[in-house]
Amino acid sequence: MKELLLSFALFLHRSTRYKAIKAFAKQLLFDTNSSYKRYFDITIIFLVISSVFILIYEVKHPVPEWLDNYDIYVVSFIFAVEYLLRLWVHNDLSELLIKEYNDSKFLNKEFSLYTVLKAGLAEKLKYMFTPSAIVDLLAILPAYRPLRILRIFILFRVFKLLRYTKSINQFIDVLVTKKFELLTLLFLLFFIVSISGIAIYVLEADINPHIHTLFDGLYWAIVTISTVGYGDISPVTDIGRSISMLIIISGIAMISFVTSVLVSAFSERLSELKEHRIVDQMNKSTSFMIVCGYGQMAKMFFRQQRREIGAYVIMDTDATRVEAAKKDGYIAIHDDASSHKTLSRFDAQYCQITILCLTSSDVENIYITLNAKSISRHIKVIARVNNPETVNKFTYAGADELLLPNFVANTMIYTAITQPTMYKAIHAILTGKSIANLDEIHVHNSHAIKGKKVEDLDFGASKLLFLGIHRRGEFIFNPPKSMEIETFDVLLVMGRKISLEYFKSQHEGDINVKQ
Amino acid sequence: MSSNKIVIFGYGNHGKFIAQGLAEDGLSVSIVESKKERVDDAMSDGFTDVFLVDVTKDSALTKMHLDTFEQLVCVMDDVHLNVFLTLSLRSLYANAYILAISDSLNATKKLQMAGANKVIDLYEVSANKIYNILDKPIATKVLEDFVNNKSGITFKEMLIPPNSFLDGKMANEVDFSSHGVLLIGMIDEELGHTFVFVTAGISHKLDSGDTIVCLGEQKELEAFEALIKKKEERGVNI
Repeated sequence: MKELLLSFALFLHRSTRYKAIKAFAKQLLFDTNSSYKRYFDITIIFLVISSVFILIYEVKHPVPEWLDNYDIYVVSFIFAVEYLLRLWVHNDLSELLIKEYNDSKFLNKEFSLYTVLKAGLAEKLKYMFTPSAIVDLLAILPAYRPLRILRIFILFRVFKLLRYTKSINQFIDVLVTKKFELLTLLFLLFFIVSISGIAIYVLEADINPHIHTLFDGLYWAIVTISTVGYGDISPVTDIGRSISMLIIISGIAMISFVTSVLVSAFSERLSELKEHRIVDQMNKSTSFMIVCGYGQMAKMFFRQQRREIGAYVIMDTDATRVEAAKKDGYIAIHDDASSHKTLSRFDAQYCQITILCLTSSDVENIYITLNAKSISRHIKVIARVNNPETVNKFTYAGADELLLPNFVANTMIYTAITQPTMYKAIHAILTGKSIANLDEIHVHNSHAIKGKKVEDLDFGASKLLFLGIHRRGEFIFNPPKSMEIETFDVLLVMGRKISLEYFKSQHEGDINVKQ
Repeated sequence: MSSNKIVIFGYGNHGKFIAQGLAEDGLSVSIVESKKERVDDAMSDGFTDVFLVDVTKDSALTKMHLDTFEQLVCVMDDVHLNVFLTLSLRSLYANAYILAISDSLNATKKLQMAGANKVIDLYEVSANKIYNILDKPIATKVLEDFVNNKSGITFKEMLIPPNSFLDGKMANEVDFSSHGVLLIGMIDEELGHTFVFVTAGISHKLDSGDTIVCLGEQKELEAFEALIKKKEERGVNI
């Protein structure tokens, strides 16, 4: 038996196919970026909704047999498969088995099948008792036909949808933070309800025609304390009415207490919840920008708004600055960009992230740069360097682009003094004024100008100034007329936006055909 | 170049860089500082015309006879002082050319109101640069190398002398690129001393007295300048 199980585990361990299937199941169930999961989710949601719809329809109308069969067998079967899959991928029994076997061989002790299986199955059992697993199990139950009462468990299928909403988890999180207060209140409620329920039963069971059992008494107590008061059961004796008055008053007090506890819990967590939402929103877009530090530099950056900057978020460790950014109408969160935890919440795998380190401290900027690069090399970092002596450190840290405000401004002043007319020209080019817009034309594989000679490209016709070609990291200024354009060349041209667009549309005309 | 005598107020972060750059270009630079240690710093960097002046006092400024200088550059590290200085200078010398640095949008406005002819906003240029890096990284890098003269390719202003071969030609008739230079734009005196980009699309007539701005390698630029200075030789087709 032991050998058989072990060899089976070994077989699974070696089988690449088994691993691939398991990985696929995991992807299907958990990988939010996988398109399979999306289809899977849509299917489940459809099954749940259709099943509930049939339940409602069935109340007043006869349902065709195939629909009934669909509801009972197809839906339940798929749910059962889903349940088993989740249970299966939750942990890995065969791996556990092999590990234990190797360990015991290493230590020269006897291999005990029992302990491994116990640990592995306990883990599975633990999963089975999580709320979502219980809901999944209950959603399968209606398949058992003889017990029609189980039909009501179809409603549990609706709870399956909760897996797809994050807000319910956040709600539960908030409740958990107030566990102590809520438990105290619950205990108090239980105490009052049972005392008054028993009291009314003892006092009025013989007199009141509506109270027959203790259950009636407890039901009355709950209805009264919650201030709902259906009125189907009401006290008839003076002493019964006195008890009612007491529970009504304590009920009001308790409800207001619960409300205040919940409100305070939510308001405490509100900013955090909002920030979670912002991060989630960011991760949904393919590329976004994180602006670290909301100082002069960032303000200026946002104020210029030369173009749509797309998705972005401002991050600052100073709460007052975050408030200022929000007041100015920008999306900002109060967090520390130099902490690994903060940045790793963003999905660097699937999104193109650009980080702008614009704080006034070089130490901070270097730290953020390193932090970003340690999470993923793909994150693009544009860092502000205040002290020119630290430039080397930034390059070591891996910053993609450096920004030296002092240096840039100094060069501008210097140019303004020595070459006043040039200053205007350079300033116009730097600020991208429409007539002096310097732009890049990226030559891709199917670009029409590929293979053409420089002289064949009539830049003059569209009133463009051709400056040169950027090829394999080098810039060729004013290339000879006979030079041919290659793939991945970047042509630098200057001119009005409309000229550029016209030129691009003229020469990119046939990419659509080729692609 | 428009001036040969320049006063720089402040020898801090910016003043130091600018003064050294200008001195390398062979311009005469005077430095005014209100802090003793900065004055010493400037002295030890080799500047001889360094003055220790309390810039908040008009009497001290008048004594300097600043009207003999062509450009006054206000780059004090303290913004408040910078605005005050600009205002004092403007009230003392109505015709002076004043250049000032600013480190915020509000300060820029104040400096302009105080009468600075040109205000350079530290963060505005940098913010622009971020956009440029995001939009067109290669173009930005190349352009930066042009401006800082790192790649050997730079801008140059050239005055068209009378009887140059360019005199009277239309700008788009001349093939600049075969000379290894590119025409970026020109200062047109006909249009009232304004800088016009060649890409604006208006065909310009080049006249003597116009200044053209070209881009190219230093050597080629110098050769081209020499060429346009040569008297026109009729019949030679260029």
